[in-house]
Amino acid sequence: MSSSPLTEKPYVEDLPRSTGASVVVSGRYLPPPEDKDGKLWVRTSALVLKDAQVLYAMWRDVEAAPQWQEHLVEVVETGPGTSRWSMRTSNDDDSKVITWESEVLADEPGVRIAWRSIGGDVDQAGEVIFDAAPNGVGTVVTVLQEFRMGKLASAWETLVGRNPKQAVIENLRHFKALAETGEIPRSQLDPHGDRGVIGNFKRSSYGETVPTPTGGN
Amino acid sequence: MKAVCWMGKSSMETRTVPDPELINPHDAIIKVTRTAICGSDLHLYDGFIPTMESGDIMGHEFMGLVEEVGPEVTNLKRGDRVVVPFTIACGNCIFCKKKYWAACDNTNPNAHLMEKAYGYSGAGLFGYSHMMGGYSGGQAQYVRVPFANVGPLKIENDLPDEKVLFLSDIFPTGYMAAENAQIQPGDTVAVWGCGPVGQFAIASAFMLGAARVIAIDRFQERLDLARSLGAITVDYSEEDVSVLTALKDLTSGVGPDSCIDAVGLEAHSNELQGIYDVVKTALFMETDRPSVLRQAIQAVRKGGTLSIPGVYGGLLDKVPFGAAFGKGITMKMGQTNMHNYMKPLLERVEKGQIDPSYIISHRITLDQAPEMYKIWRDKKENVTKIVIDPWA
Ligand SMILES: NC(=O)c1ccc[n+]([C@@H]2O[C@H](COP(=O)([O-])OP(=O)(O)OC[C@H]3O[C@@H](n4cnc5c(N)ncnc54)[C@H](O)[C@@H]3O)[C@@H](O)[C@H]2O)c1
Ligand SMILES: [Zn+2]
Ligand SMILES: [Zn+2]
Repeated sequence: MSSSPLTEKPYVEDLPRSTGASVVVSGRYLPPPEDKDGKLWVRTSALVLKDAQVLYAMWRDVEAAPQWQEHLVEVVETGPGTSRWSMRTSNDDDSKVITWESEVLADEPGVRIAWRSIGGDVDQAGEVIFDAAPNGVGTVVTVLQEFRMGKLASAWETLVGRNPKQAVIENLRHFKALAETGEIPRSQLDPHGDRGVIGNFKRSSYGETVPTPTGGN
Repeated sequence: MKAVCWMGKSSMETRTVPDPELINPHDAIIKVTRTAICGSDLHLYDGFIPTMESGDIMGHEFMGLVEEVGPEVTNLKRGDRVVVPFTIACGNCIFCKKKYWAACDNTNPNAHLMEKAYGYSGAGLFGYSHMMGGYSGGQAQYVRVPFANVGPLKIENDLPDEKVLFLSDIFPTGYMAAENAQIQPGDTVAVWGCGPVGQFAIASAFMLGAARVIAIDRFQERLDLARSLGAITVDYSEEDVSVLTALKDLTSGVGPDSCIDAVGLEAHSNELQGIYDVVKTALFMETDRPSVLRQAIQAVRKGGTLSIPGVYGGLLDKVPFGAAFGKGITMKMGQTNMHNYMKPLLERVEKGQIDPSYIISHRITLDQAPEMYKIWRDKKENVTKIVIDPWA
């Protein structure tokens, strides 16, 4: 078997593409990789009723990522396949920003994108795979992301109130909503009466102090 | 604007809050002309549904005039008169495409909360906890309606609000309950609960061909309404009445072909099991009081169907699953897939086949709402349905 996308990181090698999003390899279900040696893994997928090419293009447009990824302030393309990412370290608009450079490792239009960080405040790598849904309706988008517990992961955990794994899951959810509907559902700005201490505590424990990305709207 | 706010368990207050604003491109702002209090609101009032925050604006049954629309709203304009479904659906995800609108993938901003509790998240709902989206509700003068191209039903006739308002929830909910009961012409259907949902389930069961409907409750005014629709009524609070025996007696010993639980998680019970549930829920060892569900599973005939529009929120104890299995019954349930039913049911109202306003007993202002919640919970003053005029 060639290198499995589920057990090794940055896969510049060919993927075993026999099945839906490589969650199944040679007929067997592969669970997501275990967290170990200071590495966190998250694998998540979503069925999106859009063409793989369209979704690929949306994901590949890194400068638009702040529209659907939480806490991103800005992404700037710095060269072919490289970009600089800046992210807030708390939920306040004027909070400290951390930055890192990212490099694309694999870029197969309509099929997959793999990337990793190079230098800066974070150490992470990831991959997104676009697969036709088994019944032919829509595209299965699978994200596999790996972090080393470093500044990024701990900033997320402690300041932002989102575990980094959950952030990856939420970002894919935002991506799907934006792709399917042209917007990301938002309720944080709806009117309400006085929240009081308990109400405010609940907001943060429900993750509602993490600003929902605007979807560019 | 004025709005009814949840301020804690058993505590509602009418407050002045900011007006809603357009947030997303498919939003519309509706000026609410009529809204209602639902049996589902009681589960929030009584603290059975988690993830409410003080200050939350209540209300998911409302209609009104379009005040403002976002740039992507193409089928509504200012001044249009609309009824808004309580479930918010995007229209584009796989579940919306399959017409399971209440299971929409894209409308709950807090989907992760529901995923933790239920495995997957359903659609966002208006004014119904943060787990269900954290959207502000319609017991207010204005409300923001997301995905306004998909949900709101335009009313292009001069029927008064009261005749079309219940298309926002309870009429379609009663109708889907009857549809889920898989009624064959000539069937006997038993309906627990003669509240608004039960009423529309009874009316719809007849529309779908039931020969007989047996309606169960303990409040005379509600049983009277049920009889006015043609149902046979059973008052379960009467001494000597056993619901199970009554249903057997009324069905030649066979049991009803279909049973509809239009009561849900706050069922009242004067039997020993009821006390057991009250104690257990008070100790947080059980979240719901499923006494009607238990009875309905026992009562339904072999191979029959159990339809459950009544809301359940969490963990249920002592549900006779063996009986369900032993008789090979079918169970169907869930939040109403509103968008399937609003238009066809509006047509029935327009043709004069039904006048949904028959259930209204109280017409109130926003300022009276907090007090009325209590009356609604305790079923005092012969209350059957409360409608609010937010501008009175
Ligand atoms: N599925 C949905 O999408 C949906 C939508 C709206 C409402 N609901 C639910 O439907 C249920 C009914 O709503 P409603 O507005 O009619 O509420 P309601 O509170 O007015 O009615 C409930 C009725 O049940 C009766 N009841 C209580 N215990 C009983 C028992 N043991 N046997 C027989 N009857 C009993 C009460 O006397 C009352 O008349 C609620 O649980 C509500 O949350 C579900
Ligand atoms: Zn309701
Ligand atoms: Zn949808």
